[in-house]
Amino acid sequence: MAFVTSRLAPRRPAALAGDRQMRALALRMALVMALIVVMLLSLGWGAASGIDVPGALAAKAGIGTASLRDMAIVWDIRMPRMVTGALVGAALAVSGTVMQGLFRNPLADPGLVGVSAGAGFGAVAAIVLGGFLPVAIQAATGAALIPLAAFLGGWASTLVLYKIATRGGHTSVATMLLAGIALGALTGAVTGFIVYRASDDQLRDLTFWGMGSVAGATWAKLLAAGPIIVLTLISAPFLARALDALALGEPVANHLGVDVQRMKRLAILSVAASVGACVAITGGIGFVGIVVPHLLRLVQGPVHRLLLPNAAILGAIVVLLADMISRTVVAPAELPIGIVTAVLGGPFFLWILLKNRAILEM
Amino acid sequence: MLEAHSITVTYGSRRVLDRVDFTAKAGEMTAIVGPNGSGKTTLLKAITGEINAGGVTRLDGQNIAKMSSADLATRRAVLPQSGHVAFPFTVLELVRLGLTRGFATSATSGQDTLPHQALARVGLSGFEGRSVQELSGGERQRVQLARVLLQIWEPVLDDMPRWLFLDEPVSALDIGHQLVVMQIAHDFAQMGGGVVAVMHDLNLTAMFADRVTLLDQGRVQGVGTPKEVFTDAHLSACYGCTLRTNTPPPFGGPWILPQAASHHPNHIRASARAPHS
Repeated sequence: MAFVTSRLAPRRPAALAGDRQMRALALRMALVMALIVVMLLSLGWGAASGIDVPGALAAKAGIGTASLRDMAIVWDIRMPRMVTGALVGAALAVSGTVMQGLFRNPLADPGLVGVSAGAGFGAVAAIVLGGFLPVAIQAATGAALIPLAAFLGGWASTLVLYKIATRGGHTSVATMLLAGIALGALTGAVTGFIVYRASDDQLRDLTFWGMGSVAGATWAKLLAAGPIIVLTLISAPFLARALDALALGEPVANHLGVDVQRMKRLAILSVAASVGACVAITGGIGFVGIVVPHLLRLVQGPVHRLLLPNAAILGAIVVLLADMISRTVVAPAELPIGIVTAVLGGPFFLWILLKNRAILEM
Repeated sequence: MLEAHSITVTYGSRRVLDRVDFTAKAGEMTAIVGPNGSGKTTLLKAITGEINAGGVTRLDGQNIAKMSSADLATRRAVLPQSGHVAFPFTVLELVRLGLTRGFATSATSGQDTLPHQALARVGLSGFEGRSVQELSGGERQRVQLARVLLQIWEPVLDDMPRWLFLDEPVSALDIGHQLVVMQIAHDFAQMGGGVVAVMHDLNLTAMFADRVTLLDQGRVQGVGTPKEVFTDAHLSACYGCTLRTNTPPPFGGPWILPQAASHHPNHIRASARAPHS
């Protein structure tokens, strides 16, 4: 066949031009190593000094011995806190990435469409009103009550939102965004009312919880919320191809063979579950879900198959680092981690916008 | 064979398509032409399953309403009119999206080079690393065409024709690249695939299309070869201006030239309307 050949652009020999896969994989190796370092640092970082962290780690595996104090601090305080920080960071960054792909907007975030507000409502209701539940239920749910309530709150608000925005099998992103703002304000008001009725002790809990903190992490809380987070992290890569196709619009994604409605349902469910679980154990930690995917897209591009795993790793690193800062700046007291991520993330986000205003037009 | 029967689409109280019948054969290029707002794009959306329409569309005997999007994606690809891309993909990354359902070809090797071949075909070799958002409108349209071509790279698969649906594929292109793209569509049909294209340029249509469906105000006003459909009376009535068809050498097909700068008022159009053919 003879095609009319273009006079444009000479053939470039570079076989990998336009392929950012190698860059993304190299970045992943670097991020994994950084994560390991940060995890170990996080275990060694704290108010108590003279802790033999390697000794305590080895003792658990049956190699050598460590003092009871060291074992308790490393395994019962720092380890759950480190694992929580890493899991929550990964989940927040992945949820942000999925949400941005779903809404085809790099500025979308679970906080934006009322998922976080709904989850927050669930958690606050559980903290303040949990005592009114029958004792049997309180005993049965235990530490899982708050994560469960947060998940239900996040899921319920997402479902309501989805029902409002979906007509005739088509989900309108614009309606969903606007309805999300309205719904967020509404749940915020109800949450505010409950907080208003709370006792002084509960208020203190609520305030710290609302600013976000991994300080209260325990194995029990982690056991309740962790599996949900792990499940959503594992399922996210299955959405990758569909999210890429969705960047070209719903009709094109459909033409490319994606079952768009089914994929949207899955994405919404996964975001609601993972944000609900995060909010339950650490409260509101902002900006991770927006800044992490943003940064990575600048370096490696938007292909979700490569973006999602790297977002999970960098999200974990960011939250662990923020937690270390929150433990240091006002030592021996602690700053809520939400303040740290906001102080670092806000200006950073503005800097990205000012540096590259074109992002706003995407 | 693509057979659409009695396609009806209503937006609010306005009937955009009124019991339109449309057929296209594999191995041929079928063009849909007509003035702005005549329902061309709506017809294309109806027969590709993008919008719910009254009537039935069968693609090689199968009702498309009962096919999954995954099955449809291996049988046909669709090039939309405008292609907004939400994130800064590179040209290569975007073309690879044509393989969202995997490689649906009989070839077992050389598949890594197919995206590059698709880009070469639309004249964009060397553009692999450019960001899609930095391209010109015409370049972006050709990148999208490369993606669509990659999706159904072989015009015939397992003895079944595959279908290429194009909505105004040359609207943003210079005259050289208009010919490149029309030639690609023509070759696809020559190799046994089916091509359905919404077209504005009547002369390009006359040069490349095997069959034409002329739409006006949601109804079919003519079906046949370009020579049969592109008559002075027919075209002048539908487009509301005086058009004269000629047969210039060496091409030999109809060639349409406007004869006056003025546009007919509507009441003249109505009385001058050609009968259904």
